[in-house]
Amino acid sequence: MKIETDKSADEVLVTIEGDIDLYSSPELRKVVLAAVKKATAGVGVHLGAVSYMDSSGVATLVEGLRSAKENDRSFTLIAPSHAVMKVLELARLDSIFEVRSI
Amino acid sequence: MDRQPHDLRLLVNSDPRLLGVIRGVLQVWLEILGLEADRRSEVVLAVDEACSNCIRHAYEGRTDERVELVLSLAEDWIEITVSDQGAPCPTECTEFQPMERPAAHEVVPGGLGVKLIYEVFDEVVFCPGRSGGNCVTMRLNRQMS
Repeated sequence: MKIETDKSADEVLVTIEGDIDLYSSPELRKVVLAAVKKATAGVGVHLGAVSYMDSSGVATLVEGLRSAKENDRSFTLIAPSHAVMKVLELARLDSIFEVRSI
Repeated sequence: MDRQPHDLRLLVNSDPRLLGVIRGVLQVWLEILGLEADRRSEVVLAVDEACSNCIRHAYEGRTDERVELVLSLAEDWIEITVSDQGAPCPTECTEFQPMERPAAHEVVPGGLGVKLIYEVFDEVVFCPGRSGGNCVTMRLNRQMS
């Protein structure tokens, strides 16, 4: 899994590529929570190139969302891949997130 | 038990790095069986969850233990068993709970893996392992998919 973080005026953008599973999700968690801390307006998590995500990835996104809400920041999933949407839908958690396509 | 031509047995170290290897083997095996793409992804996810639970809970993160998978096909039933020799799982953790749609603040951490297993497979049985530990047998009827 590869992660990149970019900070602009509007948001901190976290871009993820590859598989999110028990092995890689701890690193993702660190990056997402750090992004929430750094953000002045919000966090965007780009998931277009995520080939696989399991429940540990779901838990990480939920934790990011919660942390953002507590700090009055927005938290948006960007262009989530089919794999990501599939697991969010299976878990009935697809509607708790803001989603945008770019 | 007679071994059928499609049966596969994997004995894997309880290292999270190897979950991707298990997923890869499973993907190809399910393709050979002719399961269509969306169902394949769901089965791979659910089995990954079962293996992750062995590593995380039964073995409490230790990476020098073993997770065993048996993949088999009997007529129209795909049967996958995941077992470990770790700490027995409390029954409340493996009981069936229907998947519900929570609001963001209501999301309860933990337990999602087991729920996904029940969501994906037609039959799920959690039982103690043959020689201690835990075992889950997950069955899918190809015809109904």
